[in-house]
Amino acid sequence: MNARTAGLAVVLGAVSLLYTTPAWSHHSNVGFEVTKVITVTGVVRGFRWSNPHTWVYLTVDDGKGGKVEWSCEGRAPGILLRAGWTPKSLVPGEKVTIDMSPSKDGTLVSLIARITKADGTILPNAPPSENQ
Amino acid sequence: MESKKLVLWIWTGMLGLGIPVVLVAQAGTPPDFSGVYYPLSPFGRAGGRAGGPPPAPRQGPPPRPTVSAPLSDGSQGRSPNAPSLTPEYMAKWQMISKSRISGSYEYDYTAKCLPPGMPAMMNMAYGMEVMQNKDKITFFSELNDALRRVYLDGRKPTQKILDDPTYAGYSTGHWEGDTLAVDTVALNTNSFIEGFSPHSDAMTVHERIRFNAQGLLEDHITVNDPKALTKPWETVKTYRKAVTGKTDELREFACPEGLADAK
Repeated sequence: MNARTAGLAVVLGAVSLLYTTPAWSHHSNVGFEVTKVITVTGVVRGFRWSNPHTWVYLTVDDGKGGKVEWSCEGRAPGILLRAGWTPKSLVPGEKVTIDMSPSKDGTLVSLIARITKADGTILPNAPPSENQ
Repeated sequence: MESKKLVLWIWTGMLGLGIPVVLVAQAGTPPDFSGVYYPLSPFGRAGGRAGGPPPAPRQGPPPRPTVSAPLSDGSQGRSPNAPSLTPEYMAKWQMISKSRISGSYEYDYTAKCLPPGMPAMMNMAYGMEVMQNKDKITFFSELNDALRRVYLDGRKPTQKILDDPTYAGYSTGHWEGDTLAVDTVALNTNSFIEGFSPHSDAMTVHERIRFNAQGLLEDHITVNDPKALTKPWETVKTYRKAVTGKTDELREFACPEGLADAK
């Protein structure tokens, strides 16, 4: 990594830390329509590796020439580590497709079912078997 | 380690009949439950977590998930295996269900980082670590960093303990052969029996914990609550030991991190 890319990485990392979770950050499953899954493709604006939930902030074209931002709640770092994720699994600026359940209240907040990266890699929300 | 069974052959020589009498006694050390475990069915049904990939190897790309998490707001009604609640506590369940279906997490205590409490914490959905010595066995849940201690040294709950109910309650146990028998009292009411079935301050929990014939750790749980239940509720939780060097380290949960971020 040269000095320029290292600097960029530092800036991106700092920017990602600026994004705080929504006010109801620990929303729990009851806040979402868990049996409805929609698929949204966008660009990662931030990835927060935090307890009790991880968060992906996704910038998405609204189809009218503008942008909207989804706040996507993921499971806790512990379970995601065993599912194959790491704190570096997502990088701001990368394009991903997220299968997710929308919030019951209609806001742009969702619960992640899985993430598919541009190269086809799937980040599931559970280990291959919950038996670990 | 399995305790050794001593088989004593005593001849009934008094009558000179030579009929063998078999006495079986338990001896040796109790089994060691220490280690990290994961539940076989963390959400109470076979086949793993809804929305997760199927456990068996498959051909081709994985199917698109149809759910993101188990439906847990009560809109699916109560399972036939759920605790049998008295009318008063069924009314409470219905009130909580209405709140959850609306999307509120007013009654979702673990979402507020509170401990899941006994007996719900024995679901151990995110993994469990057991620490054991002669006088005490400690159960740790990765979910919400919850912990309970079972005293094995013969102590009993005092009135001071009974007057101070907690989420995990106060647990004492003893070995019956290879089985650990545990009784838990002094439980507060800020937790659920399972799902979001409420309970009263009179709830007690009895457990029989052992390695079953398949070598899996098994916890047979019986819940008594004369105020909330029409009959004792029984369930069996089964856990598989983690793979050494692969999944045998639980991660810090630090739930309040999320609360600290909330504005």
